[in-house]
Amino acid sequence: MKHLPKHLQPRWRYLGVEIESWPDADFGRRALQRELWYAAQNLVGDAGSADLDLTVLRFAFEDGLGSALVRTRRGRTDSARAVIASLSTVDDDPVGVRVRGTSGTVRACEEKYIRRASEPSEQRQVAFDGDERTAVVRDGRVDVATDDGFSGATDLDLQ
Amino acid sequence: MYAAVHARPDGQSTVARMAQTASRYGYDGIVVRNHGDCAATFDAEEIADEYDVAVVEGIEVRASDPSRASGLVGNHRSSKTIVAVHGDSVAINRFAVEQPAVDVLAHPTRGDGDVNHVLAKAAADHGVRLEFSLHDVLHETGGTRVRRIQSLRKLRELVEHYDVPYVVSGDPHSHLQLRAPRDLIALGETIGFSPDQIETGLREWAELTERNRRRQSDAFVEPGVWLDDE
Repeated sequence: MKHLPKHLQPRWRYLGVEIESWPDADFGRRALQRELWYAAQNLVGDAGSADLDLTVLRFAFEDGLGSALVRTRRGRTDSARAVIASLSTVDDDPVGVRVRGTSGTVRACEEKYIRRASEPSEQRQVAFDGDERTAVVRDGRVDVATDDGFSGATDLDLQ
Repeated sequence: MYAAVHARPDGQSTVARMAQTASRYGYDGIVVRNHGDCAATFDAEEIADEYDVAVVEGIEVRASDPSRASGLVGNHRSSKTIVAVHGDSVAINRFAVEQPAVDVLAHPTRGDGDVNHVLAKAAADHGVRLEFSLHDVLHETGGTRVRRIQSLRKLRELVEHYDVPYVVSGDPHSHLQLRAPRDLIALGETIGFSPDQIETGLREWAELTERNRRRQSDAFVEPGVWLDDE
């Protein structure tokens, strides 16, 4: 169908979202999109979810750290924030999410709020809690593999 | 604005990791409120210097009956900056709201706990902050979440009516459960809080910290009376 005249086209806002999880987490754009839809439905219902129209446009995630660019309708960014904040897990992996900011264009959002992967993560043996353990280290963040899953630490915690 | 967190071994992340994440998320500080039986060992000053956030030592007293809770509050009052009581039964809630030594009654409506107009008035009289914990709104689903939101609404109506002091937290147990202040404000708005309420609740931790540090300093004699240097 021919596209709408410009003044009738929806106005969008783009949210730059920072995503963090444990290093063994492995999920893709589709999984995040699905969880976002569920979260929106659970928090604001079908009507609200349709209104927000959350769509994951860009997605990058590796070794427990990543980012996403999420589109929503203009004027609904606060509800979109709330829905994104209420994401607790994606594919059963617990996630930490934060909206870094919103922009009116994809490009501005990418430039301002989507950070390129800094340094690559590195796996190494660390002394943690009096034990020798395997950890994934990046940027001062240290995710230590312990007996009951991972523990979040930083370089300050390594003796 | 401060985040009140549970750190390892009570949660999954160390105090340092919580502080690092909180700093990135725009908090001014964290309150470590580990339960009494899972205390964390950490160097608050070193962590505060490294990540440029305040690190406050607190405790969440968890006891099965009021007399034990009373003893524990007394034990920790002088060593911890913030003393909270883990509210999960009516008896504990009633004890906590009548104790001026208690700073915060944490999640008073969780478990078998409940708050009514009598407890709300007592909390206001004794200056005990009631906590709005958004943890279950963030991390639960279905019927449990519906009930949590309902009890938050009831608590909010009481707090508004009797002008009870309150704090707000996301009550995270790992750095992944931490949410930025602005995201918590947006979430609060969707469940009926005003943005102002959430912000005030997050700031209240900082004000409590400042008040208690002043009280614990040598210059303090009693409320309203202190020794002046000059």
